[in-house]
Amino acid sequence: MSVQAMIDEWYPVGIAAQLDAAGRNTMLMGEPIVVAKDANGQAKVTGGNGRLLPVKMRYGHVWTSLGEPKKDLFPIPEADQPGRRFVDVGVVRVRCSPLRAVENFLDVAHFPFVHTDILGAEPHTEVQNYKVEIREDVDEVWATQVKFYQPQAAKSASGGITTEYMYRVAAPTCTVLYKTCPPRPSEWDVITLFVQPLTEELCDVWPWMALFDDETSMTDLIHFQQTIFLQDRSILENQIPRLLPLDPGMEIPTRADLTSIAYRRWLKRHNYTYGAQLVAQ
Amino acid sequence: MHTLTTGPWTPVALSADLPVGTVIPARIPAGSIALWRSESGRLSASADRCPHRGMSLSHGFVRGENLSCIYHGWSYARSGQCIRIPAHPGLEPPETIRAKTFTVEEVGGVIWVATDEATTAPPAFEGLAPLRSMTTTAGIAAIEAAAGAKASAEGLVVPVGDTLCLLVSTRDDGQTLIHVLVTGAASAEARIGASRAAESLRRAAEAVQKENAA
Repeated sequence: MSVQAMIDEWYPVGIAAQLDAAGRNTMLMGEPIVVAKDANGQAKVTGGNGRLLPVKMRYGHVWTSLGEPKKDLFPIPEADQPGRRFVDVGVVRVRCSPLRAVENFLDVAHFPFVHTDILGAEPHTEVQNYKVEIREDVDEVWATQVKFYQPQAAKSASGGITTEYMYRVAAPTCTVLYKTCPPRPSEWDVITLFVQPLTEELCDVWPWMALFDDETSMTDLIHFQQTIFLQDRSILENQIPRLLPLDPGMEIPTRADLTSIAYRRWLKRHNYTYGAQLVAQ
Repeated sequence: MHTLTTGPWTPVALSADLPVGTVIPARIPAGSIALWRSESGRLSASADRCPHRGMSLSHGFVRGENLSCIYHGWSYARSGQCIRIPAHPGLEPPETIRAKTFTVEEVGGVIWVATDEATTAPPAFEGLAPLRSMTTTAGIAAIEAAAGAKASAEGLVVPVGDTLCLLVSTRDDGQTLIHVLVTGAASAEARIGASRAAESLRRAAEAVQKENAA
């Protein structure tokens, strides 16, 4: 385990619209923090020893860092695109490594078994070849041309369609998914998973969405995404070990797991090992 | 810790609690296992971990003669060999993909799993029929004290004045697993009575355990 390489990253610690003066006690990488609204209505995040931590308000959430971020928060251009609905899905606490939560989000092969009759259904289980790369210019992991048959791809979908996905890992615990937008085929729906590492084996997951969907009520959009993520939680809390194994040998990947292989390689290259298990340990 | 002489055998569950086509979690000294019964009734025990992504196999499902992981549907035969990866339907999984398996036997309604090579059969209890299983934080010594009787070499405790027997074993998590057995001829009323008596014994044993710890 190493906190060092990941300490300068930005992490989500709450929903911007839910800030209040009383503040919310939470944790970041083992350190107790308080997320509150100050007298001027600005977000204020206080670390364990009372020191003020850097703050950003972006993508519906409050972001902070225990270190000194060298980069700005990763861009999501769709967050400024007119016509989209932005959905603060809320929080799901999961007893697993924050890295395992991200990796599960990058996986389509589990859809027929975990999100049965929603994101996938037998016998449509095959994962076609897709492309994966680490984009050196932006230092992100990208998977493109991922296609999968889905009975109900989104709340706005009526009937089964083959959905196309693009996955992007923009930070060690933040990932962005672009998927076929049923009512607007020329655009991508954006669904993110922002993961707050509470400890190496416990995380708060904050999904957020930027969708083209004028029909569905906010409540139904939130319920849909929460249903999906609670199904994921039943998996994530029952994987052994709880930490994400970064070295080969402990787990056996196949061709369908190329995104996960690239994610693990990228984590290891940067020494992003908070929540990871290494053979050496 | 109490030493029992059941050899490599651990009484992990009762046959009645594992219907055809189901999988349940169980524990042996070597760790957690997935205990499952195929559609044709064959019993199997494998390590409770899918080698793909470490998902617990006891959360999986049984189809036909195979056990599948709930995460990605990878299927395992009784031998532990992976025989199907749904993401790649045309692929024959390499022989290296397998789940560790254990020898399992069913005797008189009790399911036994062997941790090591088993050269003997698991114990048989003539005239006794299984009733139910329960776990307790009380150790075997506390159960013996509450029952007023010592465990036999096979782990059978016959409480004084009761018409039930307790088959006890210490699990790797420190809890004690108890299988309650009654005489085969016991009426429904007698079985209900035995079940309640077993619960009283458990409460008494936990009180003894607490007292001894204090």
